[in-house]
Amino acid sequence: MTGGHEMAGDHESLAGPGPGPGDVDLGRVWLGVAAQVWRRRPGPAERAAGRLLRSPGLARALMITPSLLAGWLIATAVVLTAGVFATLGTGTPYVPLLAPAVAAAGIAYAYGPGIDPAWELSRSMAVSDRMVLLARALAVFAVNAALGLAAAAAGAAAVPTAAAVTFGWLVPMTAVCALALAAATLARSANVGVTVGLAGWVIVVLAGQAASGRVTAVISDTALVLPYLAFAVVCAAIAWTATRIPRGTS
Amino acid sequence: MNVEISDLTRRFGRARAVDGVSLQAGAGVFGLLGPNGAGKTTLLRMMATVIPPSSGTLRLLGRDPSSYGPRREIRRRAGYLPQNLGYYPGFTVLEFVEYFALLKDMPPRQVPRAVAAAVEQVGLGDKARSRLRTLSGGMLRRAGIAQAIVNQPELLLLDEPTAGLDPEQRVAFRSLLRDLGDRSTVIVSTHLVEDVGAACGDVALMDAGKIVFRGTPDELTARGEGSGAAGDAPLERGYSAVLAAARSVTAVRS
Repeated sequence: MTGGHEMAGDHESLAGPGPGPGDVDLGRVWLGVAAQVWRRRPGPAERAAGRLLRSPGLARALMITPSLLAGWLIATAVVLTAGVFATLGTGTPYVPLLAPAVAAAGIAYAYGPGIDPAWELSRSMAVSDRMVLLARALAVFAVNAALGLAAAAAGAAAVPTAAAVTFGWLVPMTAVCALALAAATLARSANVGVTVGLAGWVIVVLAGQAASGRVTAVISDTALVLPYLAFAVVCAAIAWTATRIPRGTS
Repeated sequence: MNVEISDLTRRFGRARAVDGVSLQAGAGVFGLLGPNGAGKTTLLRMMATVIPPSSGTLRLLGRDPSSYGPRREIRRRAGYLPQNLGYYPGFTVLEFVEYFALLKDMPPRQVPRAVAAAVEQVGLGDKARSRLRTLSGGMLRRAGIAQAIVNQPELLLLDEPTAGLDPEQRVAFRSLLRDLGDRSTVIVSTHLVEDVGAACGDVALMDAGKIVFRGTPDELTARGEGSGAAGDAPLERGYSAVLAAARSVTAVRS
């Protein structure tokens, strides 16, 4: 035992044999003090998320999303900034081509075994792991969409069809993220999710280029919007099914 | 009864990890003994609602966990320490216990005091603000126990809770177990026979997915008397004798 504290069966044992008449229950007092001194003050973002989600537990789970931590966000910003410079230098819209892949990786690394160290424990909690996954996936998607839009807007001056490519990648990004999420939840592996998401996106981009001669075809062709959305819905359904707890026969 | 299990089976492919187990448990400390691979962890994971049974019935705290609403209520009122406790290395002990208190849907106003009480109960008060990555294995185990008891569970499921604890900590932990058992159902899965003898009022012994003995530690000890079974302590000899008898029956049947 550290520091002389023993595992105590009740709080009173911390203060000795217990208070007599008129005595102060030091164990109880200490717990009150410790509760105040040790209390963690949630930041503004966590408080806002708690109000929005109506669950402090879900908000806390959201705040510790691996792909929303500072290191990951900085890496995302670096990749997109490099994409902006590449776009400005070559006139090829690299940002809209990069952003869906970056977002897909973030979604795959949002939640799951191997990503959340206490995943099994989390699955036994009242706040369902499916809700945690949903909240984290939506938050990662929103943050990546915002960063991607900012980067795409920054590089838009170098692109002839600025509006189409600035916003056109959002729908394919939805499909690629849904693909990564479905793969990650089915395989219970973030790495599989990332690999499938990135591979899927590269194949689509290369196929679009081969068919039309334009690398931007996959983000600017409006005929692809419905297929992208349908694909995203199918992948979301797969992820939903993969994360449900089977009822068994009890 | 807080735990009512009838003919519970869990299959992984063709293998039956738990095979037709029936069990009832009320308040008190219940020991689940058995060799590695006996099915203890799988049974505990089903009781923790982490995995569903393949067949059979399971009622926890008077509720059927196969439906969302009752399952959520069970999870609010239960505590679980998995065999492999994952932890967030950058969290402090307090943050770790608080996180799971919040995930158990505890009212936020009650959380700070409950966290402080749980951390003190496992003797980690002076490490409360230490990062988990700086703690020893035994301290991490105690942090895991703290998250399991933070909500004062009516049903507490502990998988190998004394793994990594030194002898002094184990003695203190058994005392904590007995106190917890006064007001709730505590199910302790372990392969350490002495933990069961010291803390449990009731015990079940599992082997090959089945329960091969159910009774008190004294009754288990009695099974070893005069049997010639291996073991340094009387309870260990009882354990060995029951296992040997169960396996010989299985061998004859097969």
